[in-house]
Amino acid sequence: MNYIPLYVILPLLAGVIIPIVGRKVKFIPALLTNLVLLFLTILTVLFILKGDFFMVYKVGGWGIIKGIPVGIFLVVDALSRLVLLIVNLIGLCAGLYSISYIKKFTGEEKYFALFSLMIAGMNGVVISGDLFNIFVFLEIAAIASYALVAFGIRKEELEASFKYQVLGGISSMMILLGIGITYWAFSTLNIADVSSLLRSRNPGRIVFFIQALFLMGFGLKAALVPFHSWLPDAHSSAPSPISAMLSGVLIKAIGMYVILRLFFNMFPVSYKTSLIITLIGALSMIIGVFLAIGQWDIKRLLAYHSISQMGYVVTGIGAGLLLISKGQDLSLAAFAILGGIFHLYNHAIFKGLLFLTAGSVEHRTGLRDMRQIGGLGQKMHLTTTSSLAASMAIAGIPPFNGFFSKLIIIIALLKAHYYMLSFFAVLVSVITLSSFLKLQRYTFFEKLKQDWQQIKESPFWMTSSMLFMAMLCLVTSALIIPGIRERFLSPAVKALMELGRYSLNVLGQ
Amino acid sequence: MGCLLGLVPDKARGLKGWISFIFLCVVFYFSLIVFKMENSSLTLTYPVIGSLSKFFHFRIDPLSKLVVLFIGFFGMIISLYSLRFVDGGLDYKGYYSKFLWTLAASFGAVLSDNLITFTLFWGFLGLTLYRFLRGSDERSVAAAKKSFILIGASDSILIMGLGLLWLKTGHYMISGMKVTLSGEVSIIAFLSLLIASLAKAGAFPVHSWVPDYTQAAPGSVSAFLPASLDKLLGIYFLARICTDIFILTPWAKLLLLTIGSVTIITAVMMALVQHNYKKLLGYHAVSQVGYMVTGLGLGSPIGMAGGLFHMINHALYKSGLFLTAGAVEKKTGQVNIENLGGLSTVMPFTFLSALIFALSISGVPPFNGFVSKWIIYQGIIDFGKGFSLASHLWVIWLGSAVIGSALTLASFIKLIGGIYLGAKRSKFKNIKETHFLMSVPYIIIALLCVGFGIAGTSVILPELITPVTGPFRFIGLWESQTVGILILLGILLGVIIYLMGNIKKIKTANNFIGGEYPAEDIQYPSVEFYKTLTDIKPIGWIYQKAREKYFDVYDWGKKIVLWASHILSGLHTGVLTLYVVWTIISLGLIILLLL
Repeated sequence: MNYIPLYVILPLLAGVIIPIVGRKVKFIPALLTNLVLLFLTILTVLFILKGDFFMVYKVGGWGIIKGIPVGIFLVVDALSRLVLLIVNLIGLCAGLYSISYIKKFTGEEKYFALFSLMIAGMNGVVISGDLFNIFVFLEIAAIASYALVAFGIRKEELEASFKYQVLGGISSMMILLGIGITYWAFSTLNIADVSSLLRSRNPGRIVFFIQALFLMGFGLKAALVPFHSWLPDAHSSAPSPISAMLSGVLIKAIGMYVILRLFFNMFPVSYKTSLIITLIGALSMIIGVFLAIGQWDIKRLLAYHSISQMGYVVTGIGAGLLLISKGQDLSLAAFAILGGIFHLYNHAIFKGLLFLTAGSVEHRTGLRDMRQIGGLGQKMHLTTTSSLAASMAIAGIPPFNGFFSKLIIIIALLKAHYYMLSFFAVLVSVITLSSFLKLQRYTFFEKLKQDWQQIKESPFWMTSSMLFMAMLCLVTSALIIPGIRERFLSPAVKALMELGRYSLNVLGQ
Repeated sequence: MGCLLGLVPDKARGLKGWISFIFLCVVFYFSLIVFKMENSSLTLTYPVIGSLSKFFHFRIDPLSKLVVLFIGFFGMIISLYSLRFVDGGLDYKGYYSKFLWTLAASFGAVLSDNLITFTLFWGFLGLTLYRFLRGSDERSVAAAKKSFILIGASDSILIMGLGLLWLKTGHYMISGMKVTLSGEVSIIAFLSLLIASLAKAGAFPVHSWVPDYTQAAPGSVSAFLPASLDKLLGIYFLARICTDIFILTPWAKLLLLTIGSVTIITAVMMALVQHNYKKLLGYHAVSQVGYMVTGLGLGSPIGMAGGLFHMINHALYKSGLFLTAGAVEKKTGQVNIENLGGLSTVMPFTFLSALIFALSISGVPPFNGFVSKWIIYQGIIDFGKGFSLASHLWVIWLGSAVIGSALTLASFIKLIGGIYLGAKRSKFKNIKETHFLMSVPYIIIALLCVGFGIAGTSVILPELITPVTGPFRFIGLWESQTVGILILLGILLGVIIYLMGNIKKIKTANNFIGGEYPAEDIQYPSVEFYKTLTDIKPIGWIYQKAREKYFDVYDWGKKIVLWASHILSGLHTGVLTLYVVWTIISLGLIILLLL
């Protein structure tokens, strides 16, 4: 049995059923969404337990005719299953959290319907094997997220959503333009097919033009500097579980994942492109953190840190690309990419958790400005503990997961003799620590303000999903242990490192 | 040893103080066993999972044995003290579990031979340091934040140092590194590791967290982390850097000696003008590190011996001082020296112990501080016979060490005088001596101070220190007399400075007559004189700058970062068209670069 299409079908179905049924039966929306996500998480974990892995699903049975893939291919390999796990696991946590959180809004069924659609879109992007389907699913996810950012329909939320739509629209246009040019140049949109064509003949400089368009388009979805300007507004205005999904998952699934897939497995690796990617990564890392430390709004601070942490991911991966393009020391390149991918995974967990804790604070106090909060550590123990765990993870304090991925990235950069990059990585790590201690200090420590004497801990579903993710922050450190690493992270790195194997695997079957 | 490491985290859930105390006695017993182990250099390898075992190399050599022994000892003593100190009112959630975690991480850091594992434990200690300080007032939160940022920054720099070391050697094992300091890579690696060790030990220029931390933390925590464990670990790592990881060059020695001297003088000067006795002790904790760094920086066996011996002595008397300070604070509720006085009659044991500690730290014979300082002085004189630039400057190192000692004495006369001597205040009439569970620990430590002082050269050195440094010879009689004279000079100088203070005191007291200050409020105004110190022109200017935090790297870093943040935020105006323009221009740039 091939279960791949379920990743799209189930959430899409939920997204259709919820608005119809949910208006009458109040418990259906939350229940259905979370059941779907739970099922998909378990399915992904089962995939992961299989070890090295490659699976293709040909929609409608339309296979390869005379060497040309005519149908729609859905592909799951070691990299996509890692991203699928992020999407569905963090989605599940945010979904459970929403049960209590969303009570303060009206239109619960609309919220969960949009949530399911967003999941369907992200899953779709990750499993599709051709560019046009990536675009379609990307738009599903993006449009659902535009609506969710504006869900509070206050002035600032609408403004943020509008900015996000305009910039997101520009990026989607560029992606579509890139896809069009690709079709004009290669007469196919199947990633594997384009890849094999690119390897067999030299198409000239048009490839670089397509690369630039995709880099800008998906770079904007991944919120990399200089395309980051929409993110702080959008991520801080959305309802908190949605912020967790946007920062923790969306920028990775529809931004970072596609960049990884295309620049490793589709385009031939070139030095210039790798250099630009590394540069963008380093810029995001540095500029993001400097912007973050000056913020007083909890969620804005977190949002800027997303830019900075994505910068780490891209720097690690870019360094790997640079090493591959030079053709020297491939094991070191694999090490750098391992650091990047591990950080990608870790970031999804701790940033998701940070937004959930910020939401918990906002839920009880109604405020996002740290200066007006304070002393909550004496009243909201569980929120404080999980926020501390996530802060330590993002700041790279052992034994939390962020420490290990940053360690790998910094050491890989040094081993590759990129001294300046590693210096900046260290510097950014220090400033990250400072800004999170600032957050801890003003929000949870200091004196308890008069207004919050009667404050209570958040409701059950919120605290339990926060605690679960706090546990994950510690437990995922174990993924780096040799023996466990070979089952989960190393196959994903291998899928990227063996550049042409993707297309061989897809076309060969 | 592995079972020790394994046991501690498991038991860490035991929140009851007694359980952890009994458990820590067992741990101390284990440390004794480790200390008695025959193999002087041993690498244990565990058959865990395949390639993982390379991270589990533990190393037991004389240096780590020494440090393990004292970590175990302080763990036991301070937990005994905490039994009364913590139970009696201070609501410190998870105090004992943090205590045990800290101890476990310290053992792990000292014993691990793999630098990655070392960093893991080392970084975790920063977190426990942060978690120990859980006050709710603004100052203690700020202090915790500052400490953790400085420690965390040094940990990140340590990671960079590790990577650079790998470039030179190709592995992470401490044993068998021996990198020569030549070329940029190894020098930057040396500096990174140095910063990490100095930040932990609290030496200039990354010292500024120590006084803030001790001021805000309760006595037992100050005694446990900044006074004993962090010193032991920081100096342990520095010793490793100087002996095993790198081979020191004359320039590196010069750097270390400069850091040492600057630390001694600046910190003790700051200590002189403090009113809060816990902050005063914190500055002394920084100042004394200068002696250890100086000792290790000499690079000779005798300097090494002096540095390590001073590390142990300092851990003893400084943790003792913090424990007595904690007792005083608990009994009186006061943290400023001006508000205290005359406690010697009501708290005789505490007074006597504090007196012994104060004399030890000032280097008065026959206490232990004297012995180790004496060895360091001898080391400096011996070092002066060399031919490098650092050797020619030996007078500076010696001078700053002696002056530092004198100023230490002066400031401790103030502390002892201000807290314990003078007329008794009426509001302290009802104070009693502390519970014996609290006083026994510092009495034990005080006895050890005396014991180490008397038996220093005959028993302690051959037993504890010589296995680490290898045999060395005290230089001749003439020099030891000089040293003796120097010590006496230091003591005299201290007393003179103090007497000057008393003369001035009379003047200030006169001024108060008829003023609006009630005369009986100034019982023993030993503090007053030290204020006049800040009025002297050049020194006063320096103090002014120090108060404005001109010498604090943390503050500089904060200013620069916030400035950059401000500039960047200014660019983000929130205007959509601007953002669109950025996006399009960047796209154009990328296309230009690629085509």
